Parts: sequence; structure tokens; C-alpha cells
Amino acid sequence: MIEMVNAFFSGLFQIFSVATFGLMSLGILIGFAVGILPGLGGPTTLALMLPFIIKMKPVEAFAFLLGMASVTNTTGDITSILFGVPGEPTTAATIVDGHPMAKKGEAGRALGAALMSSLVGALFGAFALAIAIPIVRPLVLTFGSPEFFMLSILGITFVASLSGEALLKGLISGGIGLFLATVGVCPITGIQRYTFGQLFLWDGIGLVPITIGFFAIPELIDLAISGSSISEKYLDHVGGVKEGIKDTFRHFWLVIRCSAIGSYTAIIPGIGGATTQWLAYAHAVQSSPGKERFGKGAIEGVLGPGAANNSTLGGSLITMVSFGIPPSVMMAILMGAFLIQGIVPGPDMLIPPPKGHLDLTYSFVWINVFSNLITVGICFLILNQLVKITQVRGSLVIPFIILLIYLGAFAEKNVFEDLILVLAFGILGWILQQLNWPRPPLILGLVLGPLAENRLFLSTDNYGLNWLLRPTVLIFMGIIFLGFIYPILKKRGKKKVAIEIQKTSSQEGHEFNWDLILSLLVIIGFIFALIKSIDFDFRTGLFPWVIGLSVLFLTIIQFLRDFSIRAKKDKEYKPSILGQEIPREIVKKRTCIMFGWIFAYLIGIWIFGFSIGIPLCSFIQLKWCYRERWFTSIIITLFTWIFIDVFFYRLLHLPFPPGQLFLWLNMPSL
Amino acid sequence: MFRKTLFSIFLLSLFFSTNLCLAASYEGKTIRIIVGYSAGGGYDTYARVIARHMGKHIPGNPSIIVENMTGAGSLISANYLYKIAKPDGLTIGHFNGGLFFNQLMGQPGIEFDATKFEFIGAAVTEDCAFAFTKASGITSMEKWMASKTPVKMGGVGPGAYAPDNVIRIVKAALSLPIQLITGYKGTADIRLACESGELAGTTWGWASMRVTWRKAIESGEVVIVLQAVPKPLPDLPKVPLAIDFAKTDEARQMIELGIHNPGLFARPFVLPPKTPKENVHILRKAFLDTLKDKEFLAETEKSKLDLKPVTGEELEKAVSGIFKMDPGMVSKMKDILFK
Repeated sequence: MIEMVNAFFSGLFQIFSVATFGLMSLGILIGFAVGILPGLGGPTTLALMLPFIIKMKPVEAFAFLLGMASVTNTTGDITSILFGVPGEPTTAATIVDGHPMAKKGEAGRALGAALMSSLVGALFGAFALAIAIPIVRPLVLTFGSPEFFMLSILGITFVASLSGEALLKGLISGGIGLFLATVGVCPITGIQRYTFGQLFLWDGIGLVPITIGFFAIPELIDLAISGSSISEKYLDHVGGVKEGIKDTFRHFWLVIRCSAIGSYTAIIPGIGGATTQWLAYAHAVQSSPGKERFGKGAIEGVLGPGAANNSTLGGSLITMVSFGIPPSVMMAILMGAFLIQGIVPGPDMLIPPPKGHLDLTYSFVWINVFSNLITVGICFLILNQLVKITQVRGSLVIPFIILLIYLGAFAEKNVFEDLILVLAFGILGWILQQLNWPRPPLILGLVLGPLAENRLFLSTDNYGLNWLLRPTVLIFMGIIFLGFIYPILKKRGKKKVAIEIQKTSSQEGHEFNWDLILSLLVIIGFIFALIKSIDFDFRTGLFPWVIGLSVLFLTIIQFLRDFSIRAKKDKEYKPSILGQEIPREIVKKRTCIMFGWIFAYLIGIWIFGFSIGIPLCSFIQLKWCYRERWFTSIIITLFTWIFIDVFFYRLLHLPFPPGQLFLWLNMPSL
Repeated sequence: MFRKTLFSIFLLSLFFSTNLCLAASYEGKTIRIIVGYSAGGGYDTYARVIARHMGKHIPGNPSIIVENMTGAGSLISANYLYKIAKPDGLTIGHFNGGLFFNQLMGQPGIEFDATKFEFIGAAVTEDCAFAFTKASGITSMEKWMASKTPVKMGGVGPGAYAPDNVIRIVKAALSLPIQLITGYKGTADIRLACESGELAGTTWGWASMRVTWRKAIESGEVVIVLQAVPKPLPDLPKVPLAIDFAKTDEARQMIELGIHNPGLFARPFVLPPKTPKENVHILRKAFLDTLKDKEFLAETEKSKLDLKPVTGEELEKAVSGIFKMDPGMVSKMKDILFK
């Protein structure tokens, strides 16, 4: 026991040597920038930094790497809130309520809340790591494939249920996500599904382009429609930040619960920040009064994911340290760092020195604590400057956001086709947003789909059908069942109120019903997909068939429901879009122009490559579309060029595809 | 017509003139190593450490950078190297050599002919060891062969060299009681499933296994019962070889062409077809010199990276070797690996 306490404090003292602290600060600085920039993710950066740690001592190396890893989620929230572009794939959930807050002029409050809850989350994660160390091994070993499968199903149903009144739409959305997850080489049989001969689809549809397209492009359209700055109102002052901090403590228990969700689900291999953020968001929606506030700037919607995506690191480290099993990509790379340092993660990490490395393990706890304290401290210092970005006029920010969208989509896998995906999913995301279909279940379905399919087959191959009778599986089933029953029971009490609300919906009777068209398109899409899947063999086809047929069935119900509502006409539902005070004609025109530009950038990149295409488009857009002054246009264009060519191409060696023009002319690209 | 000819002559001369210039010297040039997997993985780690040291062994001391072109189990990068990359000696590919074998097996999507690549060499081979938990009761070959129920072994998906192909070939060639359960995300997930008792064991490269599973192997919780290599590995002198259990010529051939050869070219460094011989020669020599470089060795030692150099000539021989397999064997192999 005394040895453990010794190790605990020895871990603390170790990080306060000059070299260690300096390296930690350097790591924090890099992580700071990486978090803010979309596409440039934590894992990639960590991998690029590995060579530098060879000459470091273990504590120094981990101070450097963990310092970097532990802040990316914190600063990623900043991009999500300010621009509506996810800074990291793990901070997408912060957009849903954080960005609307920025639009309402409450960017300061949202940032304050996100940062403070991140800090609490990180501290909780560190704490969870410290206390979970003795008990985690037996706990995780009771988890076999059947439990992993049940857990992924629980995650999806949980998030689909957060769609509130649009439960059916939520389930369909989640189902579409699960179905999209079947694109690629089937992990069980190795047969290709829906790849249409495209190699880039073999690994499935990437999470990053979908997330960016789904959230950033609709926000960009909104920004273009409003014709103003991101923040439409000039409300916010420094006070907002303080308000955000206070919010964290007002909803302290929510923050703690979401931190716990982050830490403890991240222990499970395969579940990382991309999942935990949505679980926490769903929990925030479910446990807060007034569900209709969510998606329009509810503070709880910022606090939940803010805490969870940061507490995730602590949870992942638990699995990593006690088993040597990396539960996420980030951890897999960190495992490389362990090996470079000659340390094999595993039970040794839990034994006090001189026999083991418990002091090192505890130093991870401390590094996590201090790097988050430092980051949040720095953020608060510069927050006032950051908030001002939301007051810069839209025309100056739009080229930069488009740049971030395409660069972010490209940087994950370095393939050009992902740019087409980001645009396609941007359009889909915009349609879903316009028609009030929930988007998060789709993302989560996509993340958890492969886990669910693999583990379903692994369970059946390992245990036949007996796995259904395992006690832990039965417990999970009970929880899922309760999850479905509870909202229904709760609804019964509130039914009367709900009817009242429905009647107040607007009454533009002659409007064309786009909801109906969308349902119809989904139905056609699924019929087409199912026809294409007829020649799959049983093991390849089972998952797409089950999912496809269920979604088809649900969508038909949705279609019939919309149809009957349309027949009644007076119940016509019109989505509330932003900028309603702007005449509809102008909204339509601006939407078309913006989509035109997003498309033009893609063509520009295709023909001229990134280094020329993007600055060229930015310049034309600034000078002739927005009629900015020459000076402003040139400065911003130059900035985009430096950003791409110097930073990403020359410094980070991102293999940008050469422009087609240079290929046609057989010239070396620039 | 005339114009067209003139134009193509112009293009050709442009092409050859750049080729000749580049072949002459690497001074001031940048060599790119295109890795088929993402940053931080095994392929990437080897490529980066080699990139840091190889430049000084090439005349003209070019700088060497690593780029990651991920996708389709590194097939995207392999196709890129074959079809798009210029054969100017400035682009090196590092992808999964198992794809050469998969070409023979008729995997869709492969757009290269493996025998036409120019081979630089490999830093390490994939030497598979079969490991089982003590709890599974499979602690020796005798016990394994005597097992009444099929022994559960974990895989990652059809077409992967290890564990899947190696397990399937060994099962077929040696008629061992095996139930392959495939679809785990990686060897880490398989390890966890073994420790929780879901699986009995699996196989993958010993170089990686002895590091990531060290504790369990040292304590005897995990036992190595078989190795699928031509000669015993230095630190596994007493573990029997799979090929010694083969009773027929056909079984032996299966193991040699399906396991030993692909193990040799699992992690190749290759150049696009038609790269000038001079460049191939320079890079082959520089590659071998790098693997003997003192600073390089110090770094790999520290990072626990296993080294077992294979020359370009050896790779070439191993690759062309599998394409000499007779058609009957090929179709039999297809049945074993994909049915």
C-alpha cells in the first residue's frame, strides 16, 4: 500500500523536471494546433511524432505524447463551436448545440462551458484511471464477443431514442448508418459489398468525410444565407465565458455522469471518443427537461460531449495499461511508443517499482491532469480573441471554412474520392437538416456497424446460439428493453401536452412535401441495395439483409404517415429554417450560389490540385462574388496558399493529388 | 497523323530524357516511400526508420520522405506504384507482399503483375509461430493432434497471410483439428479473446508476438507449439516445424509455396516496373547498407524492431517461385483459402 502511495507521488514529481515539463508543454502546443485543425487528427500527429521520442526517457516521452493526445479533444471543441466544422471526429457532437449557441451570439458561453466541462471530464478520466487500475482486469475479461455485440446494439438504440418525438426518423437514420457501414470488404467472408469497383470503398465509407460533410456543409449554407457573420447577434461579451463556467457547475452532476460514460465505455476495445460523445449527448438530452431546446443551443448539449470526449482518454488508457490491448487507434500508436521505450504495457504497469512501472502509470494520470489544466488556462486567456471570429463578416470566413472542409476530408486517408464523399454527404446532411431528420444516429450507426456485425458472427461462430443465454447478455437485453419501455411510459403522462404542441405547427398548405420525397428516395435506395445484394451468400448478406429490410419497413411506415398527414393538409409540417426573416427567394438563391461554390472548389482542386485550386477559387470568390477589396482578397488568398502549400504540403508531406491539368499537359505539378 | 507521331515522339523523348537525368545522380532529389498503411503501424514504422538512415548510403545523399497511401489492405498503393508512379527511381513502394500471392489466387481489384515489379529488398520476414493458452490444454503438438474437438483459432479475415492463410493451409496440409473463427479486428483483439477463454490460440509473426505477448509467454500462460518456417527461429530452437509434419509431397509444396515463400516477401520494398537497372542496383545496395548501419541498428534495437534482411534477388526468386505453381495446385489452394 505504502509503495502504491509512493509511486503515486513519485509519478507527480517526475513530471516536474525541466526537460519533462518542457516537452509536455511542447506536446500541448502541438496538440493544441492539431485539435483546432479539422482532418489533422490526434492519431496521425502522434504517429508522426514517434521518431522524436527515441532519444527521450520514458517519462519525458509520455509527457510529450500524452500532453499532445490529451488536449486535441479540448481544442477540437473550439472549432466545432465556432465554425460548425468538427475539429476532430470526436468533437462532432459539440456542434449540435454549441454552434447554434455561437450563432445566437453566445460563443463565449458555449466555449466556456465546453472548456470547463472538458477539464472536469479529463480530471474525472485521470481519476478513473487511478482508481480503476486494480479492478479492471477481471472486469474486461468477463467480456466476450456476445457482450461486445450487445454493447454496440445498446449504443445505437440509446442514441436513436434521443430523437425524441421523431423516434421513427431516428431509427431509420440509425439504420441507414448501419447499412452504410456494410459498404466495403465484408470482414467475415472477404467479399466486396457495394464497392462498385472503387478501391477506396474497400475499407468502407470513412467517418471523417461523413462527419465533416454532415455537419459543416449545412452550417456553411446557413452562414451564406444569413449573409452576416457567424454570430447573428452582437450579444456576447467576456461575461459569456464566465457564464459558461458557471453552467458547468450548475449542471455538475450531468457533467460527472457524462464523464463517467466517457471513461467507462472507453474501457471496451473498439469504443472511442467517436462513440462516447454521442452516448453522452444522448444522455444529456434524455436527462434534461425540455427536449425541444436541443439542437437549438441547449447548454447541456455542449457540456455532455465536452466532458465525455475528454474523459475517454483515461478510460482507453486503463485497457491499454492493464492488458496491452489498444482499444482505439490513438492507443495503438501510443502502444508503439511503449515498445520504443522498451516497456511492454500489461500487468507490469500496475506493480510498484522496482519490479514494475506503477510510478510511470501514475505519471500518466498527472500528465493528463496538468496538460488539461494548462490548455484550459491558455484557452481562457485567448478566448476573447477567439470569440471575435464569430463577428467577422461571413464572406471573409467562408473561403477558409471551405478550405477546412476539403482539407479535413482529404487528410484522413489521402484519397481524392473522399472529397466527393464529403460533398455528397454534405448535400444529404443539408436535406436531413432541412427536414428535421436526426443526423447523429446515422453517424453512430456507421461507427458501431462494423463492431456489431463482426461480433455477431464471432459470437455465433464461437458459441452457436448459446450466447443468447449468457447472463451478461441477458442483463444487456434487459437494459435495452427498459430503454424502449421507459420513454413510452413517460410519454403517456405527457400525451395531452404533446397534442397541444402539434397543433401550433405552421399552416402553409400548398407547400410541396419534401419529407414524402425523401422517404420515397430512401425506399427506392434500399430496394435497389437489396436487389443488388441478392447474390451475396448467407454470411456476407445476413447483416445487410436484416438491416435493409427493417429500415425499408420502417421507412414505408414513415412514408404512409407523411402521406396521411399530407391528405389532411392542415397538419402540413414546415421545417423552421434559419433566417426566416429573409425572403424565401433570396434564401433559395443564396443556397444555390453556396452549393455552386462548394462544387466549384471541388472542380478547382480536381483540375489544379490543392495548392493552386483552393487559393484560385478563394480569390475569385472574394473578389468577384463578395466584391471585397483587392488588398483583403489578396491577403486571404495568400493565407490559404501558405496554409496548404507551406504547412500541409512542404512541412507535413501530405500527398496531395496532382491537378488533372498537369497530367493532361504532362507537366510536373507544383 | 504526322502531328500525332511527332507529339508522341516529343513526349517519349521528354520521358526518357528525364529518366536518364534522374538515373545519373540523386543529388538534390527527394525519394518518396509510399506506405500502403496509415502512420504508426508496422509497415509505416519500418519505412520511417529506414527513410531516416538510407539517404546517406545513396550517392548524392537525397532526402527521403514517407507518405501514407492507405486503403484496401494497401492494394491502392500497390496499384498506384504499378500503374501511375514514374519509374524514375524516386518512388519506392512498401505494401503488403501478401498481395502477390493474392494475385495468383485471382483476387479482384489487383491491377499489377507481381513479377514485373523491381525488388529492392525486405527488412524483415513474417515468421509465424502458433501460440495457445495453457488453459486451452493445447500445450504440445501431441495434445493438439489428439484433440477430439476442433481447436478454436482466431483470424482477421479471408485473404490475410497471417493468421488466416497460414491457419487454413496448415489445417489442410497437416489435417489438424482446427476451427478458424475469423473477423477479429486485429491480433490485439485476438489476444484478448484468448485470455478471456473465447479462443484457444492463433498464429502471427513471431517478431511481433514475442514483444506484445511477452509476459504471458514467459510465465507459461501462453505456449508456442509450432512454427511455420523453413528453419527453426533462433529463440525457438525446440519448437517443431510445420513442414516436418507434412506426410505427402503435395502437403510439403502447399506449406512451401503458401507459407514459406509469402513469409519471405510479406514486407517488400519495391520499385515500379521498368525502373532503370542502374537505379535498382543503387537502391538495392543502399538498402542492404542501411540495414547494417550502426545508427540504424541502435535505433531499431531501442524500438524493438526485428531485423532479418532479405535481398532484392531473393525476393524476386520467391515471388516468381509462387507463379510456377501448377494449375491444379492453384485451384486447390483457392478452395483452401476462400471456401
